[in-house]
Amino acid sequence: MSGMLFTSMQWFMVFCAVVCTVRLVLGPTAADRLVALNVMSGIVLAFLVLRGVQQGRHIYLDVALVYDIFGFLGFLAIARFLKDRLEHEEES
Amino acid sequence: MTVILLVLVLILSVYALAARDLLHGIIALSAVSLLCALMFYLLHAPDVAITEAAVGAGITTVVFIGVIRNTERKDRG
Repeated sequence: MSGMLFTSMQWFMVFCAVVCTVRLVLGPTAADRLVALNVMSGIVLAFLVLRGVQQGRHIYLDVALVYDIFGFLGFLAIARFLKDRLEHEEES
Repeated sequence: MTVILLVLVLILSVYALAARDLLHGIIALSAVSLLCALMFYLLHAPDVAITEAAVGAGITTVVFIGVIRNTERKDRG
């Protein structure tokens, strides 16, 4: 029973990642793509934790921890770049 | 599951190569690195996945953003 629940939730998260990829490729503006990437990061993070709980090994949870810390740095850099560009466009 | 994720990696890689706006390419590249880390994880290599998550998702995105901040954003070719 619990194995079937784990498997079905993992498939559902893969489906959500596919939908996010569609938005990431088609999205008209850069902000759409950034939000799609952020949502996909959250989905993959939940997937990693779910798989770690299913396998019952500690090292699997470390991957989720490290990705959460370093992924946030990347999103922060992209968001700051977008903010600077918007301010630059308003001045000119 | 592995096949679907590999198809996603392929689509995003092609888009990262073909995007005219370099910022969109960087975002697609970050997603590729995220899905690659997930692939390593699913193939029972969590230590490789930790390295890929730290280097691929964190460091390269920051470095590329710094590069296009100091140069031009649009691709000329």
